Amino acid sequence: MKTRASSRVTASLFVCALGAAACTARTDAGSSGTLLRVSLPDLSKMTPSVQKQIRDADASLSAANANPRASIATLADAYGAMGKLLMAADYLDAAGPCFRNARMLASGDHRWPYYLAHLYRKRGDVDTARTFFEEALQRHPDDVDALVWLGDVALAQGRPDEAEPRFSKALTLEPTSLSSRFGLGRVALAKQDYRGAVSHLEEVLARDPEAAGAHYPLGMAYRGLGDLTKAEAHLRLRKDREILPADPLMVDLEEVLESPQAYESRGIRALNKEKWPEAAALFRKGLELAPDSAALRHRLGTVKFMIGDVAGAQAEFEQVVRASPDYFLAQYSLGVILQDKGRHAEANERFSAALRDRPSYTEARLRLATGLRRVGRARESLPHYAQILAVDANLTGARFGRAMALVQLGRYRDARDLLLADMRAYPEQPVFAHGLARVLAAAPDEHVRDGERALALVEDLLTREQRTLDLGETMAMALAAAMRFEEAAKVQRDLMRGAGNGGLQHVVRRLAANLDLYERGQPCRTPWPAGEIP
Amino acid sequence: MIAGVRASVVSSGAVLVLVLAGCAGDAKRAGAPADEWFTDRAEQTGLDFVHFNGATGQFYYPEILPPGVALFDYDNDGDLDIYLVQGRMLGPQNDPRAALPPSRGALRGGHAEAFAKAGIPPHDSKPLIGRLFRNDLSVRADGTRVLHFTDVTEESGINANQYGLGVATADVDNDGWIDLLLTNFGTSQLFHNNGDGTFSDASARSGIQGEPGVAVSAAFLDYDRDGWLDLYVGYNVNYSLANEQKCPNQAGARDYCPPQIYGGRPDRLYRNVGGGTFVDVSAQTLIGGKFGPALGVVAADFNGDGWIDIYVANDGEPNLLWMNQRDGTFKDTALVAGAALTAEGKAEASMGVDAGDVDGDGDEDLVMTELTGQGFNLYVNDGSGNFRDASAASSLAALSLPYTGWGAAWFDFDNDGWLDVLSVNGPIVANEANDGRGTEPFPYDQRKLLLRNLGNGRFENVTGKAGAVFTLSEAGRGAAFGDIDNDGDVDVLVGNDNGRVRLLVNNVGNQNHWVGMRLVGQQGRDMLGARVAVRRGGHPTLWRRVRSDGSYASANDPRVLVGLGSSAEKPAVQVRWPSGKLEEWSDIAIDRWITLKEGSGT
Repeated sequence: MKTRASSRVTASLFVCALGAAACTARTDAGSSGTLLRVSLPDLSKMTPSVQKQIRDADASLSAANANPRASIATLADAYGAMGKLLMAADYLDAAGPCFRNARMLASGDHRWPYYLAHLYRKRGDVDTARTFFEEALQRHPDDVDALVWLGDVALAQGRPDEAEPRFSKALTLEPTSLSSRFGLGRVALAKQDYRGAVSHLEEVLARDPEAAGAHYPLGMAYRGLGDLTKAEAHLRLRKDREILPADPLMVDLEEVLESPQAYESRGIRALNKEKWPEAAALFRKGLELAPDSAALRHRLGTVKFMIGDVAGAQAEFEQVVRASPDYFLAQYSLGVILQDKGRHAEANERFSAALRDRPSYTEARLRLATGLRRVGRARESLPHYAQILAVDANLTGARFGRAMALVQLGRYRDARDLLLADMRAYPEQPVFAHGLARVLAAAPDEHVRDGERALALVEDLLTREQRTLDLGETMAMALAAAMRFEEAAKVQRDLMRGAGNGGLQHVVRRLAANLDLYERGQPCRTPWPAGEIP
Repeated sequence: MIAGVRASVVSSGAVLVLVLAGCAGDAKRAGAPADEWFTDRAEQTGLDFVHFNGATGQFYYPEILPPGVALFDYDNDGDLDIYLVQGRMLGPQNDPRAALPPSRGALRGGHAEAFAKAGIPPHDSKPLIGRLFRNDLSVRADGTRVLHFTDVTEESGINANQYGLGVATADVDNDGWIDLLLTNFGTSQLFHNNGDGTFSDASARSGIQGEPGVAVSAAFLDYDRDGWLDLYVGYNVNYSLANEQKCPNQAGARDYCPPQIYGGRPDRLYRNVGGGTFVDVSAQTLIGGKFGPALGVVAADFNGDGWIDIYVANDGEPNLLWMNQRDGTFKDTALVAGAALTAEGKAEASMGVDAGDVDGDGDEDLVMTELTGQGFNLYVNDGSGNFRDASAASSLAALSLPYTGWGAAWFDFDNDGWLDVLSVNGPIVANEANDGRGTEPFPYDQRKLLLRNLGNGRFENVTGKAGAVFTLSEAGRGAAFGDIDNDGDVDVLVGNDNGRVRLLVNNVGNQNHWVGMRLVGQQGRDMLGARVAVRRGGHPTLWRRVRSDGSYASANDPRVLVGLGSSAEKPAVQVRWPSGKLEEWSDIAIDRWITLKEGSGT
């Protein structure tokens, strides 16, 4: 462990002479106003780029310390820069003395108590965090960020009455501040003032529909008001998306560290905010430091895929699997692209490769099972579905895929029974009712077919689901199965008109074949044409 | 083997009552410092055990999880015995000398240096397997209690030869003897208690082994009211040594991976079809829930309908509340019930969990331990199974923010009638070396935390008064709560990851009055899930539950100990058995342990 004691006792005394208030404050750097010793963490375990950053910062600090002509501000900045670096690297114990020294040296600079406040907040010491946020606010009155965080800290301490004026003042200073209004919503919720909470939180979402972090407390507020419909709707929309102040100081701190991991973390944050170009740039910077990083290149490929550059994404994934064939995520992602392109056999190889490395990778197994069905190997898909469902019986995609595999194999009775059971178990998933309706309407097995029941299912789906071509086609099949051929033909003609207007000529051709059957008074006996089983 | 046990009969007549000597204000244990509330007496009582996690610096994920601990009376002699989970080496390096030595605090005097130099775990003469310690409690003529434990692992036949994580206890075949379930990195193991001091490995025939995985906490419950205890097993992640990932921190230094790297793995519900034979009914019963990385499990009736529900604490993903649909299935209602996420809608890293009536309104409230900076959570039940996040309002969150909590429980340490919280703690990222702990071989230690319920909806931190053991910084994991010396207050057994076991003996609880009850069914098994209402004139009713689950990876004393404060009035007790049947007893003797048998009340 390397330590740096202050070599500038004279400088410290000088500082105390200049900044007497800072030297006597309860949270002074040293009890006598001297600078605190800075201990660096073990650098040997860190990535070389970070080691270099810390050594450079240390050198700057040494130089400032050793230079009697260096200004106090320069020395404070040197301590602060070191503190930021260490805090960004999550070495909070080491960062603390740096910030305290900077704070003491630069008694008018709000940044250092502000960072100290965040440092203690991260450690869970909210009392000390509050003290430093208040000091930051004294040094920089009307700082909206400090006000919001002071409100946040008060809420964490169960003091909504104390939080409310903080958020209110922040909102007065910055009327568009979402985090301030969000804070007021949380205050109202904490006080069980559900109407007030609804008002604030609805306003947050009105101003920014992407502020998905507001949905959960809003849902709870509606629950408090007894409106369970709205409550459930908002609860289901919730996402892990924090509503934070702009916080340029913290953004600055987050950007200080140059390591592959830091770039990856920042890239992921950008990715989660759907800031694709920013995310791509960060992953590229990470790759400059770690060109062989499979994780970073895979993430870069993911960003490219998200912005529609499928070829670029594929190239990145291919590069990863060439260099790191065991990197199962890239094998999977490449498989997805190939599957989407209809290159099922190649996709299946990729999914199999991913599963070789990670047999428990359910998404890959599900894709592989689908892929096997696509190449006519439905029988081989069944053990994969069974394996998936043995691990997680609630994976509805696997349940539906298993039923479709049985359809492909002509096992309509088994498919019907499974779809029926799944429809009952997962009533919120219309795919089962729709699949069942198809099977009941058009299965070749007369012991399975039940037109009236199929029709009832479709009519129920039409009351609660969007009207789609697929559902319309099922409706026509069910009508025909119920011997209501004229109605079936009319529905089919309407569908063909709609498909034609939409430019879906291949659909029109397919629909025409069934229309011909209905016009001849014959039901359909093929739930899905070959190659179109979902 | 206990001394000072005498049979008695309470006024209600047909109740089998075992009264264990012990009364309010009884002479305290020899050697307990006068002013500390809890004293660690593990070493003094022969509980010589150091957990070994096999860490070699490869950061294998399971190393950060254990150990669980258990308090259960395996020999039916009226006192709690102890089971301690043990680890082993992981990965290709199979020589214990390659492992990090145990934490410094775990080693005694002269042995410390030798162990550290040799780099081997203690108990070098004994195999690295989980250990069973028999409680040889005796009570002297002057009332002084003498605790002593004897390691009976070898003669018990328990060969816990996998990488142990947790433990759960229950009588699965209704023979009146408590059996032992071990959750492992591997397959689970069930050891059947033969009733003669030995156990038989019933893992294969019981049907609970499942696929190899990372099972941590488990709970026994009779969800279908058929009189047999079923089993819920919480699984943490999809992990195998083959898919071990490297997780550097922002500066590139390696540490343990978060569970999200591996993804959650679905939990399992096993139905006991009779005689301790289980069938995996997860697919048919746990419908529609989104499983996460489970770490804590507790079973209780959350909506007061008389059917046992299940709450699962997930690490970093929404928690689950499986509400019993009374038709053999469960439905996860956690999101709408307000029990999945914090007030802000965040999924926190829930680890330990417990259910208990913290506000005295007759329903089961939840406490969860979380990561440093998140604060523990208190979800207050409105009686219908809907919850309000009272973590901040109760100050529980603020007081616990500096801690990463694992084992924890609602327990009334001072017998004032209000449920308090104790948590054992330890971060999941290495402590920095800058605070002088740079030589700690496994630097994941924190101090314990004791929070007292003020009875007004708020808690205060009383750790500073709790005793010297609370100043030890250790990697706390499992914690089991129970009256180890039968003196009328709740003691705590603590398992430390790569460290020494601690036995926190309570020195103050029985300065208040108490009533202690073991609730058994016709076959003599503890009726897990039974609810107890203790009624006294002029005092609010106190509600408790028979349980061995909750906390983290550990098994608690299934008996119910209810603090009565300074009131010496004999209470009436109403029990709602898991079958739904209600029974009452009046004039219950206080300041002693009694047994209430189903069917013997009115």
